[in-house]
Amino acid sequence: MPVLRSTAGLVAVFLVAPLAQAQDCNRQVFEPCQACHALAPGGPQKPGPHLAGLIGRKVAGDQAFDYSPALRAARDKGDVWTKERLDAFLSDTEAMYPGGWMGSPPIRDAKQRADLLCVLGTP
Amino acid sequence: MRRRHLLALSAGALAAPALITRPARAAVETRELNGYRIRTFNVRAGSGSRDVACNADGTVWFCGQRDGTLNLLDPRDGGLKVVPLGQGAAPHGVIVGPDGAAWVTEGGQNSIARVDAKDHRVQLWKLNGGPSNANLNTLVFDKQGTLWFTGQGGVIGRFEPKTEKMQVWDAPKGYGPYGIALTPQGTIWYVSLAGNYLAQIDTATGKPRIVEPPTPQQGARRVWSDSQGRLWISEWNSGQVSMHDPKDASWKQWKLPGERPRCYSVYVDDRDAVWLTDFSANAIVRFDPRTETFVSFPSDKSGANVRQMAGRPGEAWGGESGTNRIVAIDKLQA
Repeated sequence: MPVLRSTAGLVAVFLVAPLAQAQDCNRQVFEPCQACHALAPGGPQKPGPHLAGLIGRKVAGDQAFDYSPALRAARDKGDVWTKERLDAFLSDTEAMYPGGWMGSPPIRDAKQRADLLCVLGTP
Repeated sequence: MRRRHLLALSAGALAAPALITRPARAAVETRELNGYRIRTFNVRAGSGSRDVACNADGTVWFCGQRDGTLNLLDPRDGGLKVVPLGQGAAPHGVIVGPDGAAWVTEGGQNSIARVDAKDHRVQLWKLNGGPSNANLNTLVFDKQGTLWFTGQGGVIGRFEPKTEKMQVWDAPKGYGPYGIALTPQGTIWYVSLAGNYLAQIDTATGKPRIVEPPTPQQGARRVWSDSQGRLWISEWNSGQVSMHDPKDASWKQWKLPGERPRCYSVYVDDRDAVWLTDFSANAIVRFDPRTETFVSFPSDKSGANVRQMAGRPGEAWGGESGTNRIVAIDKLQA
């Protein structure tokens, strides 16, 4: 897992902050993600896996989705989506798991990633 | 609800600061497979080389989505010119316009970009409607010189280069508009990945007419026309390539080889051969509609992830986004 750099302070906040409430999150940041991902299991098939309960879930943990070999290998070695790991992943998906199928560009804005993590970490 | 936005932008729109090109050179490796020559150009680490467009002079544009650049590869000597597109840039699609310039769906800045063919000056036109991040995807010119584009955030739009007038509309079924294509008859079609449909755009009004593919939830990702105006569609969820003939409204579909194919992109070449990419097989796949057979060209590196293909007569080109390489396939000469 890549070492977090400028996001160290952000991670510290995650470690001590209680789970955010849904209404506290800036849900607008998740809109582009919704073209491929649902926040709840079930429903119509989307191009990517659902993200329900993502924080704490195994990497490549949607059993209904066939993942890239890169993500399956991460699951096989026991990787779990912690907030820290997800933050690093969103900052450059290709750097963390080269060859992953998701084609999203790096999210360099730490605030944007924090907002996304808020949405993804909200039950 | 259908939303319509109209704005005539001032001349020049948003011009990016100064042109910066960094000379570089891409090493090329050549191998042979199935009677074809495969060339891979190691372009630039960290670029995330993805969509490509071929110029008439033999050079090839490609998007560096990961580092916000548009790049020009000269396959003859591996020469590379790098054009930064601006702060926060993340270009997705590129085509060569009727003016010879590169036109780009510049998703990072929610803009349409033009990179001049001669001086590589960058111009940007921000979307003037739709979501603040439309997730711009793919673009095509019609025969009148109007640029049509899609955004996965749920929009389609058009831009008139002469007047700099842009219009953006909400797409039916919301999220998903992805690949877009022009037929020889002059019609414009797009597909919706999340919406699972093909649609023809009325070029006068911008209104789409949905044509439902026969396979439910198929995940239509990209579309390309053959010389007869038949639409070829890569289906991500079903792992099929499908073909729709607007002349008789017929459909046919073929499953790609392998256990669980994931058909990402489609390109139809000058001989009407259909070039596909399959993420599960980590391969470019050539489909011959006459014999209905597939020939596979697996990458020699894992996680190649070719997300789009294009070409010129006799050559099929793609970007290996996962390996930062550009790949070209052509038939070996006897």
